[in-house]
Amino acid sequence: MGNELTRFSTWLSTALKWLAPLIFGVLMVTVWEVLLLVINPENFLLPRPSEIFSELIDDLSKISDDRSKIWAATKTTGFIMITGLFWGIVWGVATALLVTLSRAANETLTPIAVAINAIPIIAVAPLFNNWLGLTSPRSNQMVVMMLVFFPIFITTARGLTQVDSQQIELMNSYAASKWKILRSVRIPNALPFFFTALKLVAPLSIIAAIVVEYFGGSQNSLGALITASASFADYSKAWSVVVAGSIMGMGLYFVALTAEKITLARDRSPRLLLIAWQKITGRTTGA
Amino acid sequence: MEVVSISNLSKIFNTGKDNEVEALREIDLTVTKGEFIALIGPSGCGKSTMLRLIGGLIPITSGELSVNGKTPTKAREERDYGMAFQSAGLLEWRTARKNIELPLELMGWSKAERIKRANEMLELVQLGEFARSRPAELSGGMQQRVAIGRALSFNPALLLMDEPFGALDEMTREHMQDQLLDICHKTESTVIFVTHSIPEAVFLSTRVVVMSPRPGQISSIVETNLRAGDNTADNTKIRNDERFYKKVTEVREALYGK
Ligand SMILES: Nc1ncnc2c1ncn2[C@@H]1O[C@H](COP(=O)(O)OP(=O)(O)O)[C@@H](O)[C@H]1O
Ligand SMILES: [Mg+2]
Repeated sequence: MGNELTRFSTWLSTALKWLAPLIFGVLMVTVWEVLLLVINPENFLLPRPSEIFSELIDDLSKISDDRSKIWAATKTTGFIMITGLFWGIVWGVATALLVTLSRAANETLTPIAVAINAIPIIAVAPLFNNWLGLTSPRSNQMVVMMLVFFPIFITTARGLTQVDSQQIELMNSYAASKWKILRSVRIPNALPFFFTALKLVAPLSIIAAIVVEYFGGSQNSLGALITASASFADYSKAWSVVVAGSIMGMGLYFVALTAEKITLARDRSPRLLLIAWQKITGRTTGA
Repeated sequence: MEVVSISNLSKIFNTGKDNEVEALREIDLTVTKGEFIALIGPSGCGKSTMLRLIGGLIPITSGELSVNGKTPTKAREERDYGMAFQSAGLLEWRTARKNIELPLELMGWSKAERIKRANEMLELVQLGEFARSRPAELSGGMQQRVAIGRALSFNPALLLMDEPFGALDEMTREHMQDQLLDICHKTESTVIFVTHSIPEAVFLSTRVVVMSPRPGQISSIVETNLRAGDNTADNTKIRNDERFYKKVTEVREALYGK
């Protein structure tokens, strides 16, 4: 009985954790809807949620015959976001590892990274467009990558270096190599730091990807679609694109959150991520 | 057989800079196999430094120091040491058993061997049922026992322990002392044990090395050896024995000057 009761209460607290923000969100949207309906039904600068959603559904219903603009734009922008994010993470983590293992690298690379971080990267996006081609995805990927790079680099490096000195001494007493110390102590220590940064940059990368599209890049992108709709005063269209972007951002945040949960739940071994990946893709070979 | 042999050893940190510290001066000490050396002295006199030097973690400034006839660095590379410190220093993301497995992993033991030995160690420190617990789920005393299990797991020739029971309450401390002695007798380990407790030093040791304030020098060595080689001696009896109190007084006098 007692067991069932505790199970029920854990179930309830989990449900509440999800339910509370959901109810709040629905409430906000309802208030928005009703308020506009009452105060200013003719308003067209700020459309009602129902108009936005019907616009979104309407557009997405055309996916099957390939005429959905939002879907096409989501794919373009999503690709830039994912690749930019990916390379930002790769370079960020690689630099963090390098800086941790080599004092010389630390002394040369860290100041450079800090200096790069001081550049308002989105502001120089038009210059990137000039260098790398106005319609090329390269410049947009570059902006996303550079934006992602710094938080990942700094936070991961902190996790790799802020290790209990006694633990390092202990590893030295076992005559552990630099690599062994990295693998057994530094990397597990850095994982929570890394995921904190990942959860920060995941939504940031979608913002960056959309904003740089205001300046250039493909015309079939979320950013371009927002500017075009806005200039035609098609505000419910513009907002429906924003909603599509938000959904993508949330999805990415969730992926990051799940990866974090899987990795930190057990022995903080990134190996578990690999196993999860193999499960998802159905492959069984490998480590 | 000499396990540690130290002659005319000095250690100066930051030589030639304005934050130069003379930590140890002209230390002479020989430790033979199976001995239990307690190292006692005022805070900052260089006890931890001495352990670190013996463990080959920091270089000596002058003098001679050898461990099992090798340089400390060589001895360290050949994994002659087990170390334990005041705080347990467990990896928080590993279970108790996995923490004990760590040195074995580094030494290339197979998984089956590792698990077998880690379980034996957990039994030894009486934590068999906590194999799967994380450090956060264990009390301070239990964590310390895991750390001791880890230090002993690969049968090191020499155990270096830096105030390992310093953070424990009196009851746990005495229990741990009994266990440590028991384990050391079973494994025939040689131990150098830093402590700031005079009774602890006397109770555990075969000899108490008393150090003077910085720069640390050995001011006297008190032969304790209350068990006189009898490993089955009753610990409670020893703690209540008159000889125990006499030795405590002797060490106290050596420490504070007569
Ligand atoms: N890495 C170091 N650099 C500089 N000074 C140190 C270092 N380690 C210890 N010392 C100094 O050496 C002296 C002895 O320290 P320590 O061996 O830790 O003393 P104890 O363990 O006996 O309390 C202290 O004055 C301490 O400040
Ligand atoms: Mg100390």
